[in-house]
Amino acid sequence: MPIAHGMAAGMGGIRTAGDLVARMQMTRKMRLKDAKAYVAEKLKVSPADLSNEHVMREVREELDIGIITSVPGCAKGIEAKARIAELLDIEINSVKRLKNKVRF
Amino acid sequence: MKKYLTRMGDGERIEMTVDEMKRDLELGTQDAANRGKIAPLTQDELDYLLDIFTNPNKIVSVEPGNEVPLTHDIGTLRLMGDQGNSGVGIPLSRVQGIQVHERAFAADTMELGHIDYSFKPVKPVIAMEQQEMENALLSTIVPLFYGAMPNLGLYYAPDGPFGNPSDLLPMGKIQEAREAQEGAVEHATRDMIYICEKLYAVGCDGINFDTTGAAGDTDMKATLHAVEYLKANTDLAIEVGMAGEFVLGMHGGLEYDGVRLAGLYPHQQVKLVEKAGADIFGPVVNTNTSKSMPWNLARAVTFIKACVEAANIPIHVNMGMGVGGSPVFETPPIDSVTRASKAMVEVAKVDGL
Amino acid sequence: MSKQELLEQAAQSVVDANRDMAVEVARKAVAEGIDPVEMINDGYSEGMSRVGELFDRGEMFLPELIVASDAMVAAINVLEEAMPVENQSKKLGTVVLGTIEGDVHDIGKGIVATMLRVYGFEVFDLGRDVPIKNFVEKAKEVNASIVGSSALMTTTQVGQKTLEEELKKAGLRDRVRTMVGGAVVTQRWADKIGSDLYAENASEAVMKLKEMFS
Repeated sequence: MPIAHGMAAGMGGIRTAGDLVARMQMTRKMRLKDAKAYVAEKLKVSPADLSNEHVMREVREELDIGIITSVPGCAKGIEAKARIAELLDIEINSVKRLKNKVRF
Repeated sequence: MKKYLTRMGDGERIEMTVDEMKRDLELGTQDAANRGKIAPLTQDELDYLLDIFTNPNKIVSVEPGNEVPLTHDIGTLRLMGDQGNSGVGIPLSRVQGIQVHERAFAADTMELGHIDYSFKPVKPVIAMEQQEMENALLSTIVPLFYGAMPNLGLYYAPDGPFGNPSDLLPMGKIQEAREAQEGAVEHATRDMIYICEKLYAVGCDGINFDTTGAAGDTDMKATLHAVEYLKANTDLAIEVGMAGEFVLGMHGGLEYDGVRLAGLYPHQQVKLVEKAGADIFGPVVNTNTSKSMPWNLARAVTFIKACVEAANIPIHVNMGMGVGGSPVFETPPIDSVTRASKAMVEVAKVDGL
Repeated sequence: MSKQELLEQAAQSVVDANRDMAVEVARKAVAEGIDPVEMINDGYSEGMSRVGELFDRGEMFLPELIVASDAMVAAINVLEEAMPVENQSKKLGTVVLGTIEGDVHDIGKGIVATMLRVYGFEVFDLGRDVPIKNFVEKAKEVNASIVGSSALMTTTQVGQKTLEEELKKAGLRDRVRTMVGGAVVTQRWADKIGSDLYAENASEAVMKLKEMFS
C-alpha cells in the first residue's frame, strides 16, 4: 500500500529529494511549497526537478549526499547526513551527536 | 448509460454511472460539511474528483511536480509483522527493514517501532530500542522517526493500574471512570516523555505519536502534554497522527489550552496540535464500508481540505487501510489507493501523506 | 401544559441529561393523565434517539450518554408506578456481546453494550479477544436472545462465520438471533455468513434490535 501511494504521489526518497523536503518540514515546520522552494534553492534546481530522477541523481552524486544505488565511495548513512545538514543549514540530531563524540 | 468501475468502502468492485457518482460525491462532501460545520467542496473540486473516478486507467497519479513527501507509520512491522499489523512475515531485522524502505521502496522518511507498537511496553526495553535506533541512524540517510501509539487502554484494568472506564461507565460510576482516565493521562504522559527523551539522547530525528485518540480524549490530552514538554526540552521533530475523524469523548470533560478535546474534528484538532508545538499533523477520516468510494473520498477530502486550510504546520494525511478514502480491506485495491492519493494531494492540497 | 409540550420536554430532558427535569415532567404527565406508554415511546425514547445521533456526530460523549440514560430511567420509574402491571416495561432481550478472539478492539463494542443497556436490554459483555466457545457457552447459560460479535480486522472477521457454525452445532442457532458489527463488517458480509443483523454503529444496532424485539 505505501508503495502504491509512493508511486502515485510520493517524492521518491533518496532517488530524488524526498528526504530533503521531509527534513525541512520536520525541522522548520515548512509547508510543502516553502519546503520545496528552500531545498530547490540550496540545490540550485527548480522545485519541479526535486522529484525528477534524471536531475536529482546527478545533483546527489555531485553533492555527495547519498544515492539510492550502492556505489563504492559515495557517501552513505551518517556520512551523507552530515553533508545534508551542512547543505540545508539544519541540525540533524544523530550528526550533532556524532560530532560531539568525535571531538573527544 | 456508460458505467465506470469503482469500489465500495470495503473494497468490493462495483459499477456506477456518472450520475450516480456525481450524487455520491455531492452526498459525501455534504456529510462532512454537516458534521464538521465546514465548507463543502466547490463544483470545480467535485468535477475534478469525478475526473479521477472516471479515468479508465487502473492506476492514476499526481501530475509531475505535485509530488509530496511520505511519512510511514507502523515502521518495519509491515515487513516482519503478522497480518494484525498488515505485515507479510519476512524474518528481517528492524534495521534491515528500515534499509529496505530507504533503498528499495524509496521512502522519503522511515520509522522504527516496537513490535507491540504502543509506548507503554517500550519502557522496560528502552535500552534495546535505543541501540536499534543508534544502529539504524548510522547506516541510513532518510529522516528516522520512532513511532508508537499512546494507547491509554494499556493503563486500565486488566493491563494497567487504573479501573477500566468501559466497565465503570455502564455501572454509572462516572466520577470513578473520569478519575481513572485522569490518572492514566498522568502516567502515559510521564512514560512517553521518558521514552522519547531516551531516544533523543541517541540521535533520533523525530517521534510519531500514531493513532492518537484511539482511547478517546484521554489519549489526545496525554499526547499534547508530552509533545509540549518534548518541544520545550529537545530538538525532536514531532508528528501527531490521529486515530479517528473526531476525538471520542470517553471522559468528555478534558481540555487542552481551554478547549474541550472531545468531539474535535481535524480542522480543530490541528490548532491544538500546533499549540503544543508539533511539527507535522496527520489527520484521519474514516472510511464507511457501506458507502461507495466516491462518497467516501469526497467526504474525506472535504474534512482534510478544511484541516489544510486551518493549519500552519505541514499536514500529512493518514492514508492507510480504511482511512483517507482508502477501502477497509487488508490488501487495499491499487485503483482506489492511487485515486485517494491523487485527490488528497491535488484537491485537499496536503503537504504529505 | 399540552401533551405535545410535555412530550417535547420529556425528550429535551433526556438530551440535556437533566434527571430532575425528566422526573418532574413524568410527574406532570401522570398528574394530567397522559398515557405513560406514550410518554415513554414518544417523549423519553425520542430524546434518547436524539442523544444517539448527537453521539454519532461527536457532539455528545459517553459520560453524558450515561447521565442521559439515567435521567430516562428515573422518569420511566415514575411513569411505571402509574401503569397497569401488564404494561410495565420489561427486558427487551438478553444480549451476549464480545469482540472476536484475536481482536483487542473494545471501544466500539463497549459503546454498543452501554447503549443496549440504556434501551432496556440485558447485556452480558464478554469483552475483547473472546474465544468462540465462550460466546456459545454464555449464550446457553443465560438463555440469550441475541449473540452479537464485533471484528475490526479482516483476520478476525472470519471468526463471526465460525460463531454462526458453532451456534448451529450447539443447537442454539434457532433460538438466538445473531448480530455482527465492526469497521470491516458490511451488510454483504452479514448476508454471506447468515447473520440476522448488521449494524453500522451503536445507534443503528439499538434501533434495529428494538425493531426486532418490539
